[in-house]
Amino acid sequence: MTDQPHTIAPHMWEKLGPGDAEAAISAPSLTYWQDARRRLWANKPAVVALGFIIALILGAIFGPLFSPFSYFEQNLKLANIPPAFETYVIDDGQGGATRFFLNASNFNLYEVDAEGHVLGLIRGGRKDMMKKAQPFTFGDTDISLDYSSLPPRIVSVDGDTITPSGWSWNRTYLFGTDQLGRDVLVRQLYGARISLTVAFVATLVNFFIGIFYGGLSGYIGGKTDAVMMRIVEIISTIPLTLYVVLLMVVFDSGLYSIIIAIGSVFWVDMARIVRGQILSLKSQDYVASARTMGAGTSRILTKHLLPNSIGPIIVTLTMLIPSAIFIESFMSFIGLGVTPPLASWGTLTSEAVETMRAYPHQLFFPAAAISLTMFAFNFLGDGLRDALDPRFRK
Amino acid sequence: MPGFLLQRLGMMLVTLWAIVTLTFFLMHAVPGGPFVSERMLAPEIAAALNAKYGLDQPIWVQYLNYLQGVLSFDLGPSFKYPGVSVNTMIANGLPVTMQTGMLAIICVIALGIPLGIIAALNRNKWPDTVVMMIATIGVAIPSYVIATVTLYIFALRLGWVPTFGLDDWRGYFLPVFALSGFWISFVARLTRSSLLETFEQDYMTTARAKGLRPGQVLFKHGLRNSLVPVVTVLGPVVANLITGSFVIEQIFALPGIGRQFVLSITNRDYTAIMGITIFYAAALMVMILIVDLLYAVLDPRIKLSKAAA
Repeated sequence: MTDQPHTIAPHMWEKLGPGDAEAAISAPSLTYWQDARRRLWANKPAVVALGFIIALILGAIFGPLFSPFSYFEQNLKLANIPPAFETYVIDDGQGGATRFFLNASNFNLYEVDAEGHVLGLIRGGRKDMMKKAQPFTFGDTDISLDYSSLPPRIVSVDGDTITPSGWSWNRTYLFGTDQLGRDVLVRQLYGARISLTVAFVATLVNFFIGIFYGGLSGYIGGKTDAVMMRIVEIISTIPLTLYVVLLMVVFDSGLYSIIIAIGSVFWVDMARIVRGQILSLKSQDYVASARTMGAGTSRILTKHLLPNSIGPIIVTLTMLIPSAIFIESFMSFIGLGVTPPLASWGTLTSEAVETMRAYPHQLFFPAAAISLTMFAFNFLGDGLRDALDPRFRK
Repeated sequence: MPGFLLQRLGMMLVTLWAIVTLTFFLMHAVPGGPFVSERMLAPEIAAALNAKYGLDQPIWVQYLNYLQGVLSFDLGPSFKYPGVSVNTMIANGLPVTMQTGMLAIICVIALGIPLGIIAALNRNKWPDTVVMMIATIGVAIPSYVIATVTLYIFALRLGWVPTFGLDDWRGYFLPVFALSGFWISFVARLTRSSLLETFEQDYMTTARAKGLRPGQVLFKHGLRNSLVPVVTVLGPVVANLITGSFVIEQIFALPGIGRQFVLSITNRDYTAIMGITIFYAAALMVMILIVDLLYAVLDPRIKLSKAAA
């Protein structure tokens, strides 16, 4: 890559004073962790991802506390409300005005206030089935909702189309409501709780079973190692998703079943990585010296071998967390996940697919949530890998 | 070579046996029999049904019968659809799943590798940035999100492709794209990094110094060596396409094995769940074996010996 010949500037030939050489090349010496942290902070996408994950955790824990809605409370009168709408203002001829919006997909009118809070469903007159129209009365003003041609229009008594006065965000339901009138935002936050719980469990299982299994297998070696690794090989021949499906069928769906199912098979990759690390580390001199000094197996494993393989362990962990989250949402999507009314990002997406033609917002939010979370964990994983890899150390 | 094959085949049989055993006992651990439903059956009918399906025999006899069935490629009858065997279910769904799966693999190879090459050749220039951006997006977004969002945009909004089914050739676009999206991105990233590493090798400098044309350097020396890790992931690709097909076939209403599997799960059709799982496992193991053989062809340094297993 460097084709230019190196030229040495004249000032570099100048003689250095005593002690200058040491001063010139010395930099504050950093420990491995200080250096890793410095490199992680320098990686902008990883820092943003970390911030996003922290915000997500805080939102999932505290968010539902601040919401006036619960994830299971239904309000069929306010079903399928979008997160933003075009408002109409109708003068009632008595000095007041009514502000409302039209839900073009279910032909309902909802009263809103000037700030965008949803006040309620407006009851109209009897629908005229022949003309496909429904009259509404606001004080002295009569209008009618004409749905004979799509999209539906609001027309005045004279037959003129009334145009909306402007856009407004939905202040009551920031993300809109679903087909049963439940607040999508709160359901998303509960979905985040589930995804993060699953991520947390996967982490724990990896930490305890994966590291223990891989560590033992690598450290003992020989026949034990061969048998233990054959078992891992058998488990990892078929995709983990298939095991989780099988286990979910046996346990019946629900959050606990997902946790058990993911927990029981999710340590395999970690066991492999740890075993590889231990195998390469156990012939190091410091292990031999520890053994000479009389350290037992468990002490050598926990005090010498595992701390030295913590880098690859953390990297594997950040790669496995998104795949655990993905498997949970995948299970929920195919109907094996959490049971209603509890919501997970997977169930929210699969429910939204049915109504996607009319209410795309219900699809957009959970899809964005899961994608952003996967992004964040991927970026953080990449950043950690670069930061913890000693080869990149400057 | 024969030793390697024999060892691999032996290992496959052990694995398959473990999976058959596992699924059999898991399915028998499910509370309630297959005929327990809201509508109580008369005890005589229940007994007759149990006798017909061999459920009145001790569990180890049932297990041996099932094992024997699997060995003779007979996965037994479906519990939910009388007169339909699991074999028929698989045979009905196989063509659709194979078609989409094969197209997806072709897409992965035909798009992922060239994209990776373009990125590596234009390192840190705009084509590299664009490819890596797409690849990052593709790795992070779950397949069912890709499927639903593209379905909304291209089928509902733009109307370019049908929303479901494969009657029209355009119907293949979205399912194949959703299935292969992740792996196109993954393979592109892998090809790029592997190729960049190969470019640093001494033999590449030698090849260039000998005066070989850039194309020869790239294809004969560079690509062949850097494709080895790419071939390794093709095994997992097959695995992922299989599990990916559960959701994709459901979203696009394709009558494949994946949809059949999900249906069996919802119906709690235990023999079908067992049979399809075993079929998947067997198919996967054969695919992984093929990939391993391919690996040896591509990289002559790898000898197909016992050590390679």
